[in-house]
Amino acid sequence: MSIDAEVAALKKVPLFHGIDGSKLRLLAFMSQRVEYQDGEELCSQGDTGDSAFVILSGQADVLVDGEKLAVVGEHAIVGEISILCDVPRTATLRASGIVDVLTIAKDDFIKLMKEFPEMSLEVMRTLAERLEKTTRALAAAKSAAS
Amino acid sequence: MEKSLFRFIWRNSAKYQIIILLITCLSYPVNYILLDLPKQITNEAIQGSDFPVIIFGIEFDQIDYLVFLCMMFLVLVVISNGIKLVLNVYKGRLGERMLRRLRFDLYQRVLRFRLPHFKKVSSGEIIPMITAEVEDVGGYIGEAIALPAYQGGMLIVQLGFIFMQDPLLGLAAVASYPVQGYIIPKLQKKVVMLSRERVRNVRTISDRVGETISGISEIHANDASAWHSADLSDRLYKNFTIRFDIYNRKYFIKFLNNFMNQLTPFFFYLIGGYLAIAGNLSLGALLAVIAAYKDLAGPWKELLAYYQQTADVQVKYQTVVENFDPPDIYPVERITSDDSVDLEGDMKLESLSFSGGAAGQDVQGVSLDIADGSRVVFVGPDGSGRAEILQMACGLLSPTSGRVLIGDHNLDHLCEATLGRQISYVGSLVHVWTGTIRDNLMYGLRHRPLIPFNYEGEAKKARDRWVYEAEMTANPLDDTMADWDDLKAAGVESEAELEERLLEVIELVGLSKDLYRLGLQSILEPENDELMDRVLSAREALAEKIQSDPKLRSLVELWNPEAYNNSASLAENLFFAVPSDHKLTTDKIPEDPEVKDFLEKSGMDNGLAMVGLRIAKTMVELLASVKGDIDFLGNNSIMTMDELPDYEEIVRRCENADKIKQLEDEDRSALIALAFRLVPTRHRLGIMDDDLRAKVIEARKQFREFADTGDGRFIFFDPHHYIPSLTIEDNLLFGRVRLDRHDARQRIDEVIREHVYELKLRRPIRHSGLDYHVGVAGSRLSSTQRRRLCVARAILKNAKLTVFDETVSGLSEADIAMRATLFKALEGKTVLFGTANEAIASEFDSVVTLEHGRQVDAK
Repeated sequence: MSIDAEVAALKKVPLFHGIDGSKLRLLAFMSQRVEYQDGEELCSQGDTGDSAFVILSGQADVLVDGEKLAVVGEHAIVGEISILCDVPRTATLRASGIVDVLTIAKDDFIKLMKEFPEMSLEVMRTLAERLEKTTRALAAAKSAAS
Repeated sequence: MEKSLFRFIWRNSAKYQIIILLITCLSYPVNYILLDLPKQITNEAIQGSDFPVIIFGIEFDQIDYLVFLCMMFLVLVVISNGIKLVLNVYKGRLGERMLRRLRFDLYQRVLRFRLPHFKKVSSGEIIPMITAEVEDVGGYIGEAIALPAYQGGMLIVQLGFIFMQDPLLGLAAVASYPVQGYIIPKLQKKVVMLSRERVRNVRTISDRVGETISGISEIHANDASAWHSADLSDRLYKNFTIRFDIYNRKYFIKFLNNFMNQLTPFFFYLIGGYLAIAGNLSLGALLAVIAAYKDLAGPWKELLAYYQQTADVQVKYQTVVENFDPPDIYPVERITSDDSVDLEGDMKLESLSFSGGAAGQDVQGVSLDIADGSRVVFVGPDGSGRAEILQMACGLLSPTSGRVLIGDHNLDHLCEATLGRQISYVGSLVHVWTGTIRDNLMYGLRHRPLIPFNYEGEAKKARDRWVYEAEMTANPLDDTMADWDDLKAAGVESEAELEERLLEVIELVGLSKDLYRLGLQSILEPENDELMDRVLSAREALAEKIQSDPKLRSLVELWNPEAYNNSASLAENLFFAVPSDHKLTTDKIPEDPEVKDFLEKSGMDNGLAMVGLRIAKTMVELLASVKGDIDFLGNNSIMTMDELPDYEEIVRRCENADKIKQLEDEDRSALIALAFRLVPTRHRLGIMDDDLRAKVIEARKQFREFADTGDGRFIFFDPHHYIPSLTIEDNLLFGRVRLDRHDARQRIDEVIREHVYELKLRRPIRHSGLDYHVGVAGSRLSSTQRRRLCVARAILKNAKLTVFDETVSGLSEADIAMRATLFKALEGKTVLFGTANEAIASEFDSVVTLEHGRQVDAK
């Protein structure tokens, strides 16, 4: 799979939704492509994260405290908060079968945002939408509880 | 050392100076006849009439006589120029020899300086003194005595002739001499002072440059470049003003000389003319005097030039030599003597005092008895006199008063042959020499040449000449080619045992693992074919192991002549070889004539340039919208941010594929170089496809046929051969660790380690690690590794007394364990240990606590 395929995968990631194709190409180019074998860990819970993972093919298990909570598959982005701020990994990610992953390092992502401020705006918009959704969900949950 | 240049010259070359003078005098009659002959030829042979002429009883008619005289002339020309040639070579050789003698003497004096003296001198000043500053002395020495003697003689003869013609005219001829003799030295004195100042200023400049280099990180860390630039620029200006002053005076002297010399004829014409008119002097005599005066000008000019050169060279000599003659310099025997006495018995420090001139380096009246074989720790912070006491205890530093005794021997009176062989010292500052780890370990065993090198045939002749020259210049006769390794001192019998001992010592100081790692990265010496064979069979076993394990298999791509290696560059895949000349890097390969020829013949060149162009285009497009100077490319990129503009240019120049054939050679090479860098798994540009892979593999076979001519320029990857220019590790693995696999590097390292252990290859690999080059002053080692290497060196020497200062004196577990091993290895030998760390005192037989240079208490 070449860079074009990677760009196609990145386009499907909601966080990068509004970002121009040529920028995504650059992001893909700067990122690392790594293949994980069955059972290998992409990251482990509690570690400080400095990269996000975009799964290009295969799937990975999401484990919290050793318990399998979810499965992420193709085109999923995991740990994207890590490339924006320093937070410990909230879960362990373990390859289930062979997984092809594009690793986006925090430094590279920030470099891109510095160079292209409009990209930051897009990311901000996506985050704001998400925040708005969460706030609404929280309000709904609160009103449902009361 | 002779303070005066002339004394130095006379003392070391009197005989040769006289020979030069004799040859010079010999040339005088030849030159005289040579000048006289043309007159004879015109007057007697061409215009003469008294023929036949009889010479040595042989009759000559006019033509024969002409031929005879002309032949004589020819012979004399040959002789005269021959003498000149011999004389110049002789002078040059003498000058070079004297220069060698002087330089060596200066260097030896540096070796004889006492330690505190090095606080006052800097290498930046000493180096130009020994190298550049004395250079002019060599050119001068050949002339030093012959020139004034010869030219002075000529001057006197000519003057005598003029005086004999007419005393008054004689006086006129020398009238300007007293004036010149008075003014010129005065002016010259000022020039001498200026040259002295200039030499000092240049020394300061070189010192500042040296300081800049050694303190470069401080400069950058403090943004002090501007300050240093201003400082140096100021020095350069000073140099300019001094030089300018010198020029002014020098050329004024020249002007004065020329003026004076031309003033004299004025008097001749006036006074001589008057005398001739008055009838007191014949016209013929006046003309003869004027002619003689012209001859006078030559020697006089030479003498004046000589005078100026002498003044200049003398100043240079003195300003150098005065720096090499400190009053407390060690006698030369201290470093040259080979007499070693046995340091047996207890050690005694008797009211030891030292004052170093600076605060916190004083020692005041320390007295101590140290039993033979005991372990004593000196506890005290920096500036408590601890370092000085320890240096005095091993004879490196001379006490201002008091003495250090071992048995009956006062250390201050012993030669280095004793001190340096029977005492080991590892101080707070250690030095690792540029060379291999082995060189550094054995450094403490190389005191004198022990087994002479066996020279034969031509080499023997060259060596004899070497020895002769060394004798002529009072240089040492020790041969660096000889075997200097003192096996006995290391307590071993043979080279093989020494090798084992080296590993033991390395193990002892905890460098074994480091040595293994360095060994894996090392390139084997061609003669080590036994290990090559073992690595080769290990490679096969390793490959089997990797192939049989599906997990491992996916981590590595082994070199396979029939397959494309996606973790390797296109160049490696195409040539399937490495150049034996490591200067031929991937970027330079497209310009190599042989490669160029191959690419053209195989028709690969256009295809590769196309690939390069596609890469360049992709990169240019990728970064088209980037305006800032943020480096988006990083280290693993196919091109750097700096190269981008160049490739942008090339892409612009060939906007369509047809142009690629008309591309300039340089651009084409640049594109091919770019294509060569392509590693598919790393760069993921989507440019490598199966078609290209197949083409490359096809070309690989052609290249092998093309370039495998036996000249060894390319060493092909062959699963059944050891590749001498690759590291042991690369030879073992014989493939590339995949870049796109998680943790592949670490896991493969682990596999290799296990494999090496199983095959008992660790020891031989560590042996090759001994040949690891540590870089300039050990720069390729970490500071801990450097210190440990120096400890190993001290242990290897088997000294009776070992002194450690601020070395492995920490409280970390590693340091505690290391001390225990060291003490065990040095069991029964006296150990003095210096530390600021009181907590470790319990590990020693006795403790000496120091404060402000005094001993506080001794338990």
